[in-house]
Amino acid sequence: MSGIEIKNLHKRWATFDAVRDVSFTVAPGTLTVLLGPSGCGKSTTLRLIAGLDAATSGQILIGGRDVTTAPPARRGLAMVFQNYALFPHLSVAENILFGLKVRRVPAAERTRRLRKAADILGLGALLERKPSQLSGGQQQRVALGRAIVAEAPICLMDEPLSNLDAQLRHEMRKEIRSIQQSLNMTMVYVTHDQIEAMSLADQVILMRGGSIEQKAAPVDLYLKPATSFAARFIGTPPMNLIALANGKGGAIVKGSQGPALVEGSGDGLLLGLRPEEIRIEREGIVPATIRSIEYHGADSILECAVGDQLLLVRVEGIRRHTVGDTVRLGWLPEAMHIFDEAQSQRVERKVLVRQAEPALRVAT
Amino acid sequence: MTLTALTDQPVHSRGQSFWRAVELAGCYLLGALWVLPLFYAVWMAFHAAEYEVRFDLFAPLTLGNFVDAWNAAPFARYFLNTFVLITVILASQFVICTLAAYAFARYEFRGKTIVFMLVLLQLMIMPEVLLVENYRTMVKLGVIDTVLAMGLPYMASAFGIFLLRQAFLTVPKELDDAARVEGAGPLGILLKVYVPLSRPIYVAYGLVSVSYHWNNLLWPLVVTNSVSTRPLTVGLQVFASPDQGVQWSIISAAALMTSAPLLIGFLLFQRQFVQSFMRAGIK
Ligand SMILES: Nc1ncnc2c1ncn2[C@@H]1O[C@H](COP(=O)(O)OP(=O)(O)O)[C@@H](O)[C@H]1O
Ligand SMILES: [Mg+2]
Repeated sequence: MSGIEIKNLHKRWATFDAVRDVSFTVAPGTLTVLLGPSGCGKSTTLRLIAGLDAATSGQILIGGRDVTTAPPARRGLAMVFQNYALFPHLSVAENILFGLKVRRVPAAERTRRLRKAADILGLGALLERKPSQLSGGQQQRVALGRAIVAEAPICLMDEPLSNLDAQLRHEMRKEIRSIQQSLNMTMVYVTHDQIEAMSLADQVILMRGGSIEQKAAPVDLYLKPATSFAARFIGTPPMNLIALANGKGGAIVKGSQGPALVEGSGDGLLLGLRPEEIRIEREGIVPATIRSIEYHGADSILECAVGDQLLLVRVEGIRRHTVGDTVRLGWLPEAMHIFDEAQSQRVERKVLVRQAEPALRVAT
Repeated sequence: MTLTALTDQPVHSRGQSFWRAVELAGCYLLGALWVLPLFYAVWMAFHAAEYEVRFDLFAPLTLGNFVDAWNAAPFARYFLNTFVLITVILASQFVICTLAAYAFARYEFRGKTIVFMLVLLQLMIMPEVLLVENYRTMVKLGVIDTVLAMGLPYMASAFGIFLLRQAFLTVPKELDDAARVEGAGPLGILLKVYVPLSRPIYVAYGLVSVSYHWNNLLWPLVVTNSVSTRPLTVGLQVFASPDQGVQWSIISAAALMTSAPLLIGFLLFQRQFVQSFMRAGIK
């Protein structure tokens, strides 16, 4: 089993840096997701790992071996492409066995691996068909089959589910995860879908403009975003980022009358609060006015104004609120994330909000 | 094609239907003009010499002209020569054009654009212009009166290179990448991915090339001078030269005989050919 180590990887296209100084490691047998908006360099990074493009500078190690200049075939990896890259003139079986034939794997061994992959993916009845006679989901399975029979220690996937409908995407996601774990593959998976990333990954590498914004386990990415970009990218609806201002006794929400939420000056800081962590409470921390209500079924999204800032609040079901009501919003101290507006970096400040539990309130 | 396209359109007015009728009549007229000489040749080939200029629907049919023609010149040898010539040219064209097109489609090298421009330039030069120059080259190479001399000027076909390059460019890059990851080398990718995916283009190009070289007269006439190399067209020309006395019915039989294989082949595979042409985008 082999892991991947990327050191200071850089890729320049003519005048444009698609990947800048990217370093990370993928432990053997784990799944790392490269996440980020479209055009941030995820595919380029993956293609550099695969050896399909040459790195401008930096180093790629697979299983401890430096493969920076090795051709794709010598890197011990399999790859699944966004549009499946099935050969239209070959049958499903021939597509799956393409690489094994090229590598002159004996026929008996080929048959064994084909049968195994067909079993795992339920492709048994489709082996003689041409790719054009398959549905999108079936084509996706064939592409997975080709990666499975290679029995390569590393598997790379570039947005493998982006062409499927939501229902199928969810099923395939679970399937890919279970295949990866049962075959103990080391996997790098590219997606722009944060839900896919959060549900699949052992490690998420969030990219933006060619550089790494944050690398962390999904939980940590959610609980402790390193930058305001990371904070906004993860979660639906995304985290509220509201401007703070200097106030009496600490930083207050800009345009509000207080109270102070964090210690020190507030100008140039952003307060991050996830919509799902804000509650409407009688004893809440700040007063707010409901501006609009969007009903989603299991929950509703309220848009509330605090001072001159707007924030989204997620509440269960339909509550008895109407637009124009004045309510108080409360949240736990841990739910607060403070960012420097100019640098967009996370800053640690002492939080002045206390736990709003009635029992505590009585004791003080 | 034109006809079906026209009939599909709804007729709106009297004026339009009038012009449609004119167009239709024009089509039939042109078609008749085109097919008449062929009919005449068939007529002459199957009738005795006295019916050459006399039309009689019940004139007795005969195969005598074919027998006479076959015996008058070594047509069996000419058939073989043409067959060898076409095979050599087509095989060389496929190999050379495939490799060149692959390089132009998928590799970056210095001067690529200029070299490609030169290839395109060759498309604009009529082969006849180079007749004398080509003859000199063949003399220098010492290959006059060989199959090689007849084929050499056509082997690196600019048309073929251009056509295949366009075909290769439409092959998704992802398939190339997938084959590379799976361990295929440059030649393996060419043979296992690009060539099979461009099959309709090969069929269409092969057809154009075969029919062109089957019918090519001028160049083979210039560089051949013996029975053992002469292709059918040159053989027919020699056969029809006035010093043997012009016997139109025998010449018609010979001409029909020499074009028959191509004609029959096309009729048999008509549907595949038309499909290939549609997909290759040549019309
Ligand atoms: N072959 C190429 N030549 C020039 N620019 C490229 C090439 N491939 C990708 N890029 C550029 O690199 C950037 C990153 O692309 P990519 O890695 O595909 O992004 P994504 O994160 O959406 O997968 C994009 O701005 C893209 O335009
Ligand atoms: Mg991409």
